[in-house]
Amino acid sequence: MEDLCLHAIEAARRGNVTYADARFVALRDQWLATEDERVSGISDSESTGLGIRVLIDGAWGFAATANLGREAVAAAAAEALRIACANRAIRRPDGVRWAREPAHQAVFRTPVAQDPFAVPLERKLDLLLRTNAGVLAVKGVRKCHSHMHFRRQHRFLATTDGTLVEGEVVTSTARCTATAVDASTAKTRYLEAPAANAGYEHIERTPFLAEAERVGSEAVAHLSAKPCPVGEKDLVLHPTHLALTMHESIGHATELDRVLGMEESLAGSSFATLDQLGKLRYGSGLMTITCDNTLPGGLATMGFDDDGVPGQRWDLIRDGLLVDYQTDRETCHAIGAERSHGSCRADSWASIPIIRQSNFGLAPGKTPLTPEELIADTKDGIYIDGMGSFSIDQKRQNFQFGGDCFWEIHNGKLTGMLKDVTYQAITTEFWRSLDAVCDQRFWMSIGVMNCGKGDPMQIAQMSHSAAPCRFRRIRVGGAR
Amino acid sequence: MIPRDQAFAVLASALGAATAESTTAWLDGRLFGSTRIADNAATQCLRRRDASLYVSSAYGQQHASASTNDLSPEASREVVRRAEAAARLSPPDTEFMPPLPAEEASRYAQIEDWCQATADLPPERAPRELEPGIAEVRRLGHRLSGAYTHSAGFCAFANSNGLRGYHRSTEASIRATVLAGDGSGWAQATASSAASLDVTGVVREALQIALDSRHPSDIEPGKYTVILRPAAVQEMLPWYMVCDAKATDEGRTFLRGKLGQTVCSKRIALRSDPLDPRCPGSPFVGDGLAAEPVDWVRNGVLTNLCRSRYWAQKTGLAPSRGPTNLILDGGDASLQDLIAGTERGILVTRFWYIRVVDPMTSLLTGMTRDGLFLIEDGRITRPLRQLRFNEKVLAALSNVEAMGRPERIEGCLVPTLRIRDFTFSSTTKF
Repeated sequence: MEDLCLHAIEAARRGNVTYADARFVALRDQWLATEDERVSGISDSESTGLGIRVLIDGAWGFAATANLGREAVAAAAAEALRIACANRAIRRPDGVRWAREPAHQAVFRTPVAQDPFAVPLERKLDLLLRTNAGVLAVKGVRKCHSHMHFRRQHRFLATTDGTLVEGEVVTSTARCTATAVDASTAKTRYLEAPAANAGYEHIERTPFLAEAERVGSEAVAHLSAKPCPVGEKDLVLHPTHLALTMHESIGHATELDRVLGMEESLAGSSFATLDQLGKLRYGSGLMTITCDNTLPGGLATMGFDDDGVPGQRWDLIRDGLLVDYQTDRETCHAIGAERSHGSCRADSWASIPIIRQSNFGLAPGKTPLTPEELIADTKDGIYIDGMGSFSIDQKRQNFQFGGDCFWEIHNGKLTGMLKDVTYQAITTEFWRSLDAVCDQRFWMSIGVMNCGKGDPMQIAQMSHSAAPCRFRRIRVGGAR
Repeated sequence: MIPRDQAFAVLASALGAATAESTTAWLDGRLFGSTRIADNAATQCLRRRDASLYVSSAYGQQHASASTNDLSPEASREVVRRAEAAARLSPPDTEFMPPLPAEEASRYAQIEDWCQATADLPPERAPRELEPGIAEVRRLGHRLSGAYTHSAGFCAFANSNGLRGYHRSTEASIRATVLAGDGSGWAQATASSAASLDVTGVVREALQIALDSRHPSDIEPGKYTVILRPAAVQEMLPWYMVCDAKATDEGRTFLRGKLGQTVCSKRIALRSDPLDPRCPGSPFVGDGLAAEPVDWVRNGVLTNLCRSRYWAQKTGLAPSRGPTNLILDGGDASLQDLIAGTERGILVTRFWYIRVVDPMTSLLTGMTRDGLFLIEDGRITRPLRQLRFNEKVLAALSNVEAMGRPERIEGCLVPTLRIRDFTFSSTTKF
C-alpha cells in the first residue's frame, strides 16, 4: 500500500499543492455480544480505503475512495484538487499556516502478546457466557449483557514532506452489565476491561469470573440504596469515573481547534481562550495534567498522528496553571509553536483528520496515600465508581455527571450505597477544589472508545489516567 | 452510488456463494459531500464514496454476521465464508428468527426520495451557495460557522428465501451558527433536493438570532413555561418515546406497564410514516420487514413499542422495528402566536448535549444553546445566559399547552411546543 499512497501523492502534486497527504487504512472490527445465556450477536467487519487531503492556495480539499485501483485513486486525488480549487473563493483571507515537520520513515506496532482475532471464538464466547452465569446466579438480577470488542487498524501515511509511516494498532475491551429489577425500578452495575491498545491478554487480566457475583450483588443493592442527598459533599472519585470528567472538562476544553472557533458549528468552543494561556488557574496546585501519546496501552498511542507528527509527551496544566493546548499542524502557530504536538487523527480513511484528545493523565500524588486513607480522611462525602450520565455546555464550563455506583462516606467510613447521584459544577471551580490525590500505586488508565467530535461526526479513542482523588464541597443532587 | 440491478447482482453473488441453511445479505452505501465553515471561511471540504456488503449466516439457531467494503467477487465470497465460520462456532440463539419470506415484498411501499441533481451536485455548488451569506456576516463583523452537505445513498438486501428490496434517497442540508459578540444564533434546513434549500436565508435567520441574543443576562433557575423551537423538540423528545418492547416488558424502561395507558397530554400524537412526503422514510427496515405507518402515541396514549419479530411472536403482538422517521403532529400556531400567548416564559432555540440521567423515569439533562430569550407579557424582553435543564420526557409531554407547525429536522418532523413547568436547574457563564 506504500506504492498506492505514493501514487496518490504524485497525482496530487499535479495540482501545484502546498501540501498533500494520502492515508490508507484497513480497519477490522470484531464485536461479540451476549444477553443472559445466549449469544445475541457476532459481527466481524472490515473497511478499507484511501483518503487524500490537499492544500492549494490556503484552501483544503479531501476525497476518499474505497476503490483501490490506481485509476480510482488518481481520480480521487483529482477530485480533492477540484474541491480545494472550488473552495478558494471562500478560503480564509490569511490562508493556512502549515507547520513544518521533518520527513519520517518508521513503523509502529502495538505490542500484542495474544492477537485477539486469533483467539478462538469459542474461548471468547465462553468467558462472556460464564461471566453472565455468575452474575445471573445472584438473586434479584434479571438481566446480564456482556460484550467484547476488538479493533485492528493498519495504516500507511505518505505526505509531500517525504514522510512515509506505517502503523498497526490493536485495541481490546470487554464489559459486563448486570441489571436488577424490582417492582418499582431497575438498576445496573458494570465491570469492564477498560479499552486499551493491547491484545487479548488485556481481557484475561480482568477478573470477570471472580468479580461476577460482586457485580450482580451491587446491582441488587443499588435497588434499595438511599437516594442522593441534596447539598454540598466532598467527592472521592475513582479513576474509572474521573476519566470521563477529565475528558469532558479538560480534554475538549484544551483542543486548540475548539479554542480558535473551528468547531463552533457542532462540538462548540472553549472557555480556555488564548488570552488565558499561562494565566488561567484551571485547578488547585495538585493539578498537573500531562499528555502522552507514547503511553503504553493508551488508545491514542499510534506512533504518528495523521499529520505525520510523532507521538509526544507534554504538560497541558502544570501545578494548576494552563500552560499548553492539544495542537495540530494547522493550529499550532496560534500559540507561537513551531511544531505540532501531534494530536491530529481521523476516525477512518474516509474522514478528514482533526484535533482529537491525546492520552492524558492527572499526575499522581507525591506523598503516599491509599484510597482507604483518603476515605478515612473524609467526614461527609460520596465515593463514586464508574461512568454514568454526562453533560457539559459547549464551552466546557457547566457540567453534570452521574456515575455507575455510589457510596456514602460518613466520618471516614463507607456507610452504605446511594442511588441516582449527580454532581454539578463549573469546570474551574471543580478542579480548584481538588485537595487530595492518591499516589502512583493507584494510578490507572481508562480508555474512551466513543469520543464524538467534528462535522460530519467522527468517533475517536484515547485514554485518561488518574489515581483516586478528592474534591471538596461539590453540589450534588441537582437532577430531579 | 450503486444502481438497483448492480446492487442485486452483488447480493446474488454473495447468496450464490453461501452454504448456510439461511442467509441474508445487505448492501448499502452513499456519496457524501460536506463543506464546513468556521470563522467565515471554508475549513474542511470533503467528498467520499463507500459501500459495504453485510452477510448474516445461520445454521438452525446458530448465526453470525460479517461485512466488507471490498465488493469484488473474491471479497464477497470471503465475507460469506467468515460469517459462516463464525456462525458454526456460535451457540444456538433461542431468539434467532429465520429470514422473512419473499411475500413480504408485497408490503413494501413505493417511496420516491431521490433528486438526481442533488446526487450529481458539483463541488463548485457549495461555495457558490455559501458565499453570499459569508460575505454578509463578514461585512457586519460577525462570524459564521456551519456546514453545507449533500448525500446520495442506497440500501439493498436479499435473503435466501427470495425476498429482496432496494431503496435510494438524496438529502441536502445547511446548518449555520453565527457569533455576534457575546450573542449566538443557529438555524438549519434539510431537504431531499439541494435546490429547495435557501442557504442565505438560513444564514440570515441564524444572524438575526445572534444579533438578538447579544448582551445576555442571568435568570434564576427554576420552573418556567418554555417555547421549544423544532430543533429543541427534535433533540429532546421524540426518540426517547420509542422504547424496546422486550426491555419494557422486562421492567427495564420508563414505559414499563404503560402500554395502552395515557402517558402524556392528549395533544400528543407521535407516529412514523415512511410515506409522508415531508420527511420520507425507507420502505423496509432491519432484516426486510416492511416499514409501515406506526402510531407510537395517539391522543396521549402509548399505543406501541419497538418490537422485534422474536418478541412479537413470543407476546402474540405485531412486530414493529425501529422507525425510519418520526412525526410529532403539531398545530397551526406561528412562533409569534405562541410567544404572544405566553405571559412569562423562555424561548429555547435548541439544546446541546442531552443525556439520560435516569432511564427509569425518563429524566434527561442538557444545555440550551444559540439563542435563549425571556418572554414577558407576550413578547421577547431580553436574551438570557444559557441554562441547564433536568426534565422528564413524560412530564414535558404531559405539560404541552400549544403546538406550532412541524418542520423537518434529521429524520423527524416536529413542531414548536409550548410547555409549562419545565425545569432549569443551573446557569452557566455565557
